Amino acid sequence: MAEPHIAQEEASAPGESWEPRIIAFLCYWCSYTGADNAGTSRLKYPPNIDIIRVMCSGRIDPELVTTAFAQGADGVMVCGCHIGDCHYISGNHKTMARMPLLKRTLIEFGIEPERFVHEWVSAAEGEKFARLVREVTENVRRLGPLNWPQRMRERGVDHGMDLKPWGESV
Amino acid sequence: MNTEEAKPGAKEKLKIGMYWAASCGGCDISLLEIGPRLLELIEAADIVFWPCAADFKYRDVANYPDRYMDICFFNGGVRSSEQEEIARLIRLKSKTLVAYGACACDGGIPSLANTKTVEGIFNASYHDNPSLDNPDHVEPQQSTQCKFGELENPRLYPQVLRLADIVEVDYRIPGCPPVADRVWEAILALIGGGLPTRNNAVKVACTDKSVCDECSYEKRQVRIKAFKRPQEAIPEAGWCLLEQGFICMGPATRSGCGALCTKAHLPCRGCYGPCNGVEDQGAAMIGALGSILGADTEEQAREMIDRIVDPVGTFYRFTMASSDLKGRK
Amino acid sequence: MTETPGTHTESGNEKGTIPRIGVFICHCGGNISDAVDVGRVAEETGTLPGVIFSTTHHFVCSDPGQSLIEQKIRKLGLDRVIVAACSPSLHQLTFRRTVARAGLNPYLFEHVNLREQVSWVSENNELSTQKAIRLVRAAVGRVRHLVPLDKRRIPIHPAALVIGGGVAGLVSARDFAQRGMRVTLVEKRPFLGGQAAQRHTLFPTGEDARGMMHTLIDEVVSHPLVTLLTNATILDSEGVVGNFHTRIRIEPRGTNEHLSNSNDAIAACPEQTANEFDYGLSQRKAIYMPYPGCYPPIPAIDWHLCTKCEKCVWAANGKGIDLNEEPREIDLHSGGIVLATGCDPYEPLYGEYGYGVSPGVIRLQQLIRLLDPEGPTGGELPGNGKIPLRIAFIHCVGARQIEGVNQRQPDGRVKDYCARTCCTATLHAAVEIKRRYPGAVIVDFYQDIRTYGRGHEAYYEQASEAGILFVRYDPYHPPGVVRNPAGDSPLLVKSRDMLTEGIEVEMPADMVVLATGMVPHDIAELVFMYRCAIGADGFLLEVHPKLRPVELAVAGMFLAGTCQGPMDITESCSAASAAASKAAALIAQGQVEMDPFIARVDETRCTGCRTCMTVCPYDAISRDETRGIAVVSEARCTGCGTCAAACPSNAIQQDGFNDAEVMAELKGLLEK
Repeated sequence: MAEPHIAQEEASAPGESWEPRIIAFLCYWCSYTGADNAGTSRLKYPPNIDIIRVMCSGRIDPELVTTAFAQGADGVMVCGCHIGDCHYISGNHKTMARMPLLKRTLIEFGIEPERFVHEWVSAAEGEKFARLVREVTENVRRLGPLNWPQRMRERGVDHGMDLKPWGESV
Repeated sequence: MNTEEAKPGAKEKLKIGMYWAASCGGCDISLLEIGPRLLELIEAADIVFWPCAADFKYRDVANYPDRYMDICFFNGGVRSSEQEEIARLIRLKSKTLVAYGACACDGGIPSLANTKTVEGIFNASYHDNPSLDNPDHVEPQQSTQCKFGELENPRLYPQVLRLADIVEVDYRIPGCPPVADRVWEAILALIGGGLPTRNNAVKVACTDKSVCDECSYEKRQVRIKAFKRPQEAIPEAGWCLLEQGFICMGPATRSGCGALCTKAHLPCRGCYGPCNGVEDQGAAMIGALGSILGADTEEQAREMIDRIVDPVGTFYRFTMASSDLKGRK
Repeated sequence: MTETPGTHTESGNEKGTIPRIGVFICHCGGNISDAVDVGRVAEETGTLPGVIFSTTHHFVCSDPGQSLIEQKIRKLGLDRVIVAACSPSLHQLTFRRTVARAGLNPYLFEHVNLREQVSWVSENNELSTQKAIRLVRAAVGRVRHLVPLDKRRIPIHPAALVIGGGVAGLVSARDFAQRGMRVTLVEKRPFLGGQAAQRHTLFPTGEDARGMMHTLIDEVVSHPLVTLLTNATILDSEGVVGNFHTRIRIEPRGTNEHLSNSNDAIAACPEQTANEFDYGLSQRKAIYMPYPGCYPPIPAIDWHLCTKCEKCVWAANGKGIDLNEEPREIDLHSGGIVLATGCDPYEPLYGEYGYGVSPGVIRLQQLIRLLDPEGPTGGELPGNGKIPLRIAFIHCVGARQIEGVNQRQPDGRVKDYCARTCCTATLHAAVEIKRRYPGAVIVDFYQDIRTYGRGHEAYYEQASEAGILFVRYDPYHPPGVVRNPAGDSPLLVKSRDMLTEGIEVEMPADMVVLATGMVPHDIAELVFMYRCAIGADGFLLEVHPKLRPVELAVAGMFLAGTCQGPMDITESCSAASAAASKAAALIAQGQVEMDPFIARVDETRCTGCRTCMTVCPYDAISRDETRGIAVVSEARCTGCGTCAAACPSNAIQQDGFNDAEVMAELKGLLEK
C-alpha cells in the first residue's frame, strides 16, 4: 500500500549552512552567573546556544522543554545550582527529579538523549559551562538537525493532505 | 437553532447527528447512557445522521442543504482520507459541530499510534505478531478491481489528528467516554438555547478544575516513596492514590467525570484530557510528578523513575495529538 | 487553539493599545561592538512589530546613555524598554531606576546580555551577531507580555533576636543595644559565654579570656534595651523578614537571686556528672556554676541529674531554690534574627590517634583547661614532676581530612576543611607550656603552619626559639599513636618527616595533644525551621562570601561567628558586629522592599490539589479551606517559581516569569 508522505529519518539533510540551535534554561543565581563567569574569563564557546534565564531551575516546567523541541530547537540544556546550594533551598531538587523523567519520555518520542542535557553549574564554574556548551554543540551537530516542525509537517500534522474535492468519492 | 424555547418539545424539531471516525464505538454507546432522557431528546430533535445506530448513507448527508444539521457530534480521531472527507462534509452541513470524546478532542488512545509509522502498524497488524496466522503475508491494498469496477480503500494517514486539526470546531466534550450526566447537561444547554452556535472549540460538559476536585481522598502532602502499579498493591482506603505511589493522572486531568475511577480505587488515567489552560497534559503531569518524588539524590530519583514502565503511554494516553511533540519523529 | 483567554495571549500595555517598544543596544566601548555588529542588530530590531525606536549607544549605563533612555520614553511615549548590554547582574537595577525616573514602571524593562554571554565568548562574529539579533528579538516578544509590577513593601518590627549567648551573640546584642534597638538574646544553656569562656588566655594579646568575656557580658546585660533569656530554646518560628514570630520555651533554672550561699548548696548536692565546661576532665554537681564570675551569677539545676533530694534546699536554708519551678513559653516578635549558635570542638572517633583508648591522648581544648589555673588541675599538667615532660601535638585532627585516608565520620563523609584557628592556638599553648616547664620536650607534628592572623606568626617564632621541634607529616600517611612498647613513656608517636625526605621518626610521649578542628554546633532543628542553606562542610552558608558575607539567603536572617565557619574570637567579633550592623540597617529602614516576582494563583483554575504546597521550600503556600484553593503568602514567597512549574493545571503563575513571558521569549528565539 503506497503511503503518501513517509516520514524520512533524515527529514532534511543538513545543508552547509545548518547550525545547531540549542536553547539553554539557566537559573539566575548559579548557572547564569556561571555562564557570565565564562565570559568574564574570556573563554570561547560556540554561539549556537541561546540562554533563557529564570530565577531558579525549579521554574523549568517540562513543557518549556517540549515546546522548545516542538518549535525547532535541535538541543536543550537545563542548568541549575548544585544540590545543596540552591539559592531557594530546594528548587533544584525538583529539577533533579523532573528532568530524568522528562528525558526518559523524550527518548520514547525519538529525541536522542544527547539532545537534552541536564547539568549543575555553579557561579564559579565558567570553564565547566564553556566545556559543556562545546560538548553539547558537537554532539548535536553530529546527530544532525532535529527540525521537529518539518518532521511533523511531513507526518501530516500541519494538515494539507491532497484530497479529491468533496463529491467525487461518493 | 431555536433559541426561544427553553424546554425540549418546541415547535420545530432540531436536527442532530453523530459520526464515528477513528473510534472504538464507546462514544456512540455513551450517548445511549443518558438512558430514559433519550426519549426527551428524541422529542426535541430528529436524528438525521448516525451511522453507528441506523442506516444512513454519505449520499444522504451530501444531499442535505448546508447547515442542515443543528448539531452534529463527531467522535473519533481523523486518520484516514475517508474520515477527513466526512469531517469536512459534516462541517459544511452543520450549524454547530461538537468534537465528542477524547479522540476527537485530543486524539485519544488511537493517537498513541503517532509514535509508530504506518509501515510499523501494518507490520504488527498483518505480519509480525504471535497471534497471527498469515503465511501468505496478505495485507490490505489501496485499490482492487472487482465486478463493480475499481474499489478504493481509504488512505491511512501517518498521523492521527484531532477534529479541530481538520475543520473549525464549535464545542468539545472531553472524556473516554464522556460521562452521561455531563453530556445531558451539555445537550440541554445546546438545544435549549443560551449557548452561541459558534464558540471557538471551548470544552464543555466538564469543569474548570482537575479531577482532584471531585475526588474525596485525603491529601497528606507527603512526597512519593516509590511507584506502584495497580496490580502490585492494594491501596489504603481514603488516602490520595498518587501520594501512595500509584500514578494517578488526576491532578493533570480536567474534571467533570465525578472521579469515577478513583472512587473504584483505580488511579485516574487522564481521559478527560488536560486541565483548562494546559496544552500538553503529559508535560504538566511530568512537572507535577517530578516535583513530589521523595528522592534526595539523583540516583534515588533515577531508580524511582525507572519503575515507570511506559512513560508515553502513561502520561499521554489520551492526548498525544494535543501534545507539543505530537508523535515520534 | 485555546479556549480561554488565559496566559497564552498578549496582555497589552498599560494604555490598552499595542506596546511601544524602545530598544537600546550598547557598544560597551567596543566590548560588545568588537564582536557583534550592533548597528545591524539595531537595524533588524527596528523592523520588528511594536518597536518604534531602536538605536545603539557607546555606553548606555553612562549618564548620557541613561538620559537618552529617559528622553525617548517621554518624547516617544515608550511603554516598554529593552537594553541589550552587559550582564543584568551589573546594571539591571540601574536601568530599572532610569526607567522609573522617566515615569515608567521599572518592571516594564528587559535586559539582554550581549557581553558576557555573546561578545566575550565569541568564536565567530557573524554567528554571534545573528545570535544577538535573535536574543533581542526574543526580548521584544517577551516585553509585550510584561505587566507593571510593584515591589512589595512590608513594615518591619523594630526589635532584633539574637540566638546564641557566646562571644558572637554577645557582641551582636551589644551592638544592637548601643544602636538604640531593642534586642532579645536567647541562650540555650543556663550560662552565657560559650566556647570563649572555656579558654584561659587569648591570642594574640595574652589577655584573660573570662576577664574579657566579663567586660563584654557586663556591657550587654546592663543595657536597658537588652532582654536576656537563658535556659531558653526555640520551639517554633513563623513569619518572614520584618515580622518573625518565635515561640520560646524557658526551662526552669530552679534558683533565683535570693540564694545567698551557693557554695553550700552546691557542696551539699550528692549527684555528679562529667563537667562539660572542662570537656569531661572534671565533675560537676546537679546544681552548679561553671566558673566563678559566670553570668547569671547564680547556679542552675541540671534536671536530668537532679533527684530532688532537696539537700541543696536545706543547705540554703530554704531560700533561693525552687525545685518545682515550672517551664514557661513566650512569644517573641522580631524584625530580624542573628544566628550565633557557635561551634563545638571536633570529637575524635574512638581510637583516632589513640583518643579514648589512652587517657594520655587529649584534645587541645582539654589541654587549655589543664593549663588554666582555674581549671581542674589548678594549672598543673599531669605527670608534672617527671622531668622532662614529653608532649606531642598533632595538627589537623578532624580537619583537612582526605577521603580514603582518614576514617569517615558517622555522616559518611570526611571533614576536608581547614579549621583555621588551631595552628595558632596550638603554638600559643605549646609556648605557654615551655614557659612554665622549660625542660619539657615538645614536638609538633603538622601539615602546614597556618598562623595567618595579625600577631600570630610571633607564636611560631617563639615556639621555634623555645626549642619546640617541628615534624612535617605526610597527610596521606598521618602519624600513628601507639602504646610505647619500650615502656619508658605511656605513648609513642610515629611519623614520617617530610622535611627530611620521609625519614621515620618516633617520639616517646607522656601526652599527645590533638589539635582538633571545629564543627558547627548541632542546630538541625533551627536549620529546618528557618530553611537555612548549609554548605558542604556543614556550616551555615552565606549569600555571597564577599558581597554579602553575613547574610543568609532567608531574608532578615544574619550570621555571626563560628556557626558560619571556623574562625577565631577576633573574627567572630568582627562578623558579629557586621551582622548586627546589617540587621540594624535593615530594621531601621522601617519597611522591607522585595522583588515582585512572586507566585500568583488563578482562583478559577486552582483545584487545591496541593502539589504547590508540597513543593514550596518556604511553606509560603497555604490552603483556603472554604474555597478549597491554594493561597500564596506574598510576604513569604521568595520568587523561585518552583510551584509554577509544578502546577499540573497551570493555575499558578510567577509574576515576571509567567508562561506567556517565557514562552514568548522561547518562540522568539526559534522563529525562522
